[in-house]
Amino acid sequence: MGGLKEMIIKGGIVYDPANGIYGEEMDLFIDQGRMALQAKGEEIDARGLLVMPGGVDAHSHIAGKKVNTGRIMRPDDARQGTEPRSAVCRPSTGYTVPNCYAMGYRYARMGYTTAFEAATPILEARHTHEELEEIPIIDKGALTLFGSNWQVKECVRDKDLAKLAANVAWGLCAARGYGVKIVNPGGGEAWGFGANVKGVNDPVPNFDVTPAEIITGLAQANEMLNLPHSIHLHFNNLGKPGNYTTAIETLDLLKDIKPSRMRQVVHVAHMQFSAYGGTSWRDFESKAPVIADYFNCHNHATMDMGQLLFGSATTMTADAPLEYGNARLTHNKWSNHDIELEESSGVVPMTYFRKMLVNAVQWAIGLELALLVNDPWKVLMTTDHPNGSPFVNYPEVVTLLMSKPKRDLEMATLHEQLPKRTTLAGLERELDWTDIAIMTRAAPARVLGLADKGHLGPGADGDVSIYNLRPDEVDTSLDHALVKKALANAMYTIKGGVVVSKEGRILAAPPGRTFWVDATVPQADADRLMIDLEEKFAKYYSIQIANYAVQDAYLPHANVIRAGLSVPQEVA
Amino acid sequence: MRSITITPQKAFCISVEAENISPDKFAPLTLSQIKSLVVWQGNRQKTLSELFVVEGDDAPAKAEELTIRLIGDFSQVKRIGEGMTAGVVLAEESVGMHAGNNMLGGLLSISGSADDWLAREMRGGKVLVMGNAGNYVGSGYRGEKCGMRGGEIEVRGSAGAFLGEHLCGGSIRIAGDAGDFAGAANQGGTIFIGGSTYLPGAEMSKGTITVKGEAKVLPSFQKTEIVQIDGLAFQKYAGDLVDNGKGELLVGVGSS
Amino acid sequence: MSEAIIIKDAVCSFCGCLCDDINVEVEGGMVKRVRHACRLGSSKIMGHARMESPMIRKDGKLAAASFQEAYDRAAEILLAAAKPLLYGWASTTCEAQKKGILLAEEVGGVLDSTATVCHGPSVIGIEEKGLPGATLGQVKNRADTIVFWGCNPAEAHPRHSLRYSSNSCGRFTPKGREGRKIIVVDVRETRTAKNADKFVRITPGSDYEVISALRMLVAGKGETVPDEVGGVLKADLADIAATLKAARFGAVFFGLGITHSRGRYKNIDNALSLVAELNSHTKFVIMPMRGHYNVGGIGQVLAWSSGYPMSVDFTRGLPYFNPGETAACDLLARRDVDAALIIAADAVSNFPRATAAALADIPVIQIDPYENPTTLHSEVVIPCAVVGVEVEGTAYRMDGLALRLRKLVDCSLPSDEEILRGILESVHKQRQLTANGGA
Repeated sequence: MGGLKEMIIKGGIVYDPANGIYGEEMDLFIDQGRMALQAKGEEIDARGLLVMPGGVDAHSHIAGKKVNTGRIMRPDDARQGTEPRSAVCRPSTGYTVPNCYAMGYRYARMGYTTAFEAATPILEARHTHEELEEIPIIDKGALTLFGSNWQVKECVRDKDLAKLAANVAWGLCAARGYGVKIVNPGGGEAWGFGANVKGVNDPVPNFDVTPAEIITGLAQANEMLNLPHSIHLHFNNLGKPGNYTTAIETLDLLKDIKPSRMRQVVHVAHMQFSAYGGTSWRDFESKAPVIADYFNCHNHATMDMGQLLFGSATTMTADAPLEYGNARLTHNKWSNHDIELEESSGVVPMTYFRKMLVNAVQWAIGLELALLVNDPWKVLMTTDHPNGSPFVNYPEVVTLLMSKPKRDLEMATLHEQLPKRTTLAGLERELDWTDIAIMTRAAPARVLGLADKGHLGPGADGDVSIYNLRPDEVDTSLDHALVKKALANAMYTIKGGVVVSKEGRILAAPPGRTFWVDATVPQADADRLMIDLEEKFAKYYSIQIANYAVQDAYLPHANVIRAGLSVPQEVA
Repeated sequence: MRSITITPQKAFCISVEAENISPDKFAPLTLSQIKSLVVWQGNRQKTLSELFVVEGDDAPAKAEELTIRLIGDFSQVKRIGEGMTAGVVLAEESVGMHAGNNMLGGLLSISGSADDWLAREMRGGKVLVMGNAGNYVGSGYRGEKCGMRGGEIEVRGSAGAFLGEHLCGGSIRIAGDAGDFAGAANQGGTIFIGGSTYLPGAEMSKGTITVKGEAKVLPSFQKTEIVQIDGLAFQKYAGDLVDNGKGELLVGVGSS
Repeated sequence: MSEAIIIKDAVCSFCGCLCDDINVEVEGGMVKRVRHACRLGSSKIMGHARMESPMIRKDGKLAAASFQEAYDRAAEILLAAAKPLLYGWASTTCEAQKKGILLAEEVGGVLDSTATVCHGPSVIGIEEKGLPGATLGQVKNRADTIVFWGCNPAEAHPRHSLRYSSNSCGRFTPKGREGRKIIVVDVRETRTAKNADKFVRITPGSDYEVISALRMLVAGKGETVPDEVGGVLKADLADIAATLKAARFGAVFFGLGITHSRGRYKNIDNALSLVAELNSHTKFVIMPMRGHYNVGGIGQVLAWSSGYPMSVDFTRGLPYFNPGETAACDLLARRDVDAALIIAADAVSNFPRATAAALADIPVIQIDPYENPTTLHSEVVIPCAVVGVEVEGTAYRMDGLALRLRKLVDCSLPSDEEILRGILESVHKQRQLTANGGA
């Protein structure tokens, strides 16, 4: 155990696009838990089989208050997919909101070794880390919410970018967070009195700022701090017909900001939910082609799909007014959670139906986006677990992207008006293994700024997935059922040099690491910030500032990444 | 007709979970194979014959040609007839919780009483109880939108609280009283209660609940007309209007 | 003589308020003074008579034993049981709760918390409808209308009002109590009711009907509502409905008066719908007033570990949940358990009498700092350090916010977590011995 073992993976057909390797037969070596140029020890026979870096999920809701709220309100979900405990495993429960153990095992079975929780309020980050630590095997991180934070809005209002940067650095440190997440900026504040913001230029109540100012301010602060990840943005008006204009308008705000690293300036979360045309659900249609065109013409943004699949889901987001709308629309149970001075959030169970036109169009939009954007480095494969579908269905998404016949088969079972509302039926493109390796490994790692993930070069984490598929023989277009089956249970998943899963059986469940970013700022800015914060705690927060930050005890397997103003810029 | 009888070896202190006592499970098996089916008592996994005397015809037969007779007290034995699609289970005395869970067809007949969650999430077939039934007859599982969706439940005695909670279809007939909240969140099933109940039909959106005896009616039900059924007068209500429900509640008027 | 030290911003481990502004003066390893805490919290932090040694019952009498002997005997009892119950968990750390869940999995037991005798019905209601809530600071900063239904914070949560609700001041509530409307719904006029702007006395057991009537009135369907519901005149109910709709931000806090009156979880279910519907008119949130300081924590830890927040049956290796069947009271009332581990709760005092009586017939292991009526029924008694005073760790406030409890003074006794680890190790050891013996 522990990754000290040496290992040789023999003869696999390796896809490592970050290192320019596109399906070459080669041996891989792991030493001290990392990829190496040479190693001895255990040999794994991968002759002729598909080999990729361990999967990286850059946007998934896997830990924290809203995930647990989903569990608590859904015993009906927990009873799906139960597995008893074994010599290696704790028991598993749940489908859309699995328990912590099931998350680790299920990611590992699919060949994934890293997943990032997409939204954590600073105040409740302790809870998030309690759950992250309980998820076995995979490495993790959590993005921190800033989009409705009082202090952030005041810095933006005062146009005090240095203080805003100090605020972001302080918030990441307090939350032991990895990056800046912005959800429906200003909307959480408006929802504090039951309202919402309607667009990027709609003033946020009580704060004399607009969502546009919050977004650009945080993007600038993000680049000032040289953070590994860009801002990670959930647009205003998400989930509403006609919202593609908000998407384009928002992206345009950011196109002139210079990135501090070799990466995007903004990552758009679950683009599918923001590529909607129409004026109501009645004339609802796809605007994926317009969005894709924008991404093809610009290089400052990346997206993840947020693919929707038919069946059961649990929607959960810091976009609380959206969830209230969902609950009213579907007449379903509704949880809401406002977080003082910071955010709001909601959770609503959902079922997506093939014969419901809106759902069918949503399903098509995710695929259109991935197929219409030319550069796979700009599109990460996600289902926005568990909003579009639980992550265990990633193999379904991959096969839809790789096989036109599979898409045609699916479309034949959907609402007959679908072809009038989307372009999917006319899209011939079928992704290949290089595209898939990029969208599920290399690109998410690059988008997040994880240098040792998503590739197999020397020094990279010894995370490798081997599938029982022969890329030289299998026709991914026709044999989609075979592909889906093979991707569901990797032949081997190796995490940090340890075989954690073999043909769907969990062999070892070591704890994973948690990444967080510690960014330094000038002391004078930090001092100015503290005066404001101390006042906020004295007057408004319900806890003391001394009890606010996440203590180190909650991250026994922390992996700190340094950033900030004093870090010299990397030359790529 | 193939017949199998099962008798407890002794009285059970810790309850037994025996979802394998079902015509579908027994059908393809010989007697000795049936004897080695798994049952659980707490955390102890046992074979059927370790806890019960199992006797009867040896030759496998289709479920619809199979009758399982339960002799003696089964009130501590749970999940009898779970998911059965055909055949007959006859209990001579009382049965434990979850008898007829997810039942799809066949007959489950109980001469004594049935404990809580009788025929939870039932979809078809018939359940007959000569004695009383506990809480949650024909209801759903926690957090689930739908309870019983089809089939027929008849209880000759009384039933406990939450009768037919989240009922989505099928019919339930209780000869005696029903406890609080009969037919809560009814979405299209039919309930008849020969005796009295308390706050029937809370949040019902569809379906019919008839109460021959007395019932405390919620303030969110609208009184409509008096109707005659089999020569008896019933006050009709529409509800539950908290959620603009279109259910029918009928409550007996005067003595019958 | 050692010098006194002041520990600032300690977290009080008494009730679900988890007040975190407590200043404690420690001298010579003893707590000398407690500032800011209420009398309940203060008394807990100051400490009182403790059990000092583990005890094992021999010939009918509890006799002092070593910790290892106690762990071994406890493990022996749990391993011999076909259906052990591991109950309590409300007054300990999440770290101990995690170990307890592992132990329940290992020995194939049923794990339940004191929620079963307090807010268990609230959990079932939430499973039906979800929980539209907020952190307490949101209420402090925004709420201009607060309803206390079936709860009496003036006595049970003394600082709730000042820190979080009626009397708190915040950004949009600078006038505190003066700027707020407080409504109390209860069957008797409590101290909380005496301080309200409006006290609504309802007939015991009529909560559900009253809420249904309010839902009708809020939705403008008052014409169907009869002239009087649950002992309250329709005009009064209409007045309340109007007040709720007129709120800028409203909050409902509820307690055992509604969860344990006739209707139980259906009352909560209905209240959750009322609040959801009020959000079509204004902003409203609702939350339970949790009693023990970490009864919220066991719900959270159990949910992320097993998928379910209470009453989890691990006997068959996979978690099964069905309150009414798997809750501690259900099992004891049916005599469907054959051993019990009671930790961080006084089961005998809190259970209905017949249920508590069932504990007398089975071997009981108690882990607690204090002697209480459960001790008298116990076969093994293991004293532990007091969480939040002698042990640090995590607790979840009534609004679901996690805080880290501090250690204020040293203690020679092990923590709950250490005791559970000791029992777990003994379970492994004894199981190994049996396996070897059988081979």
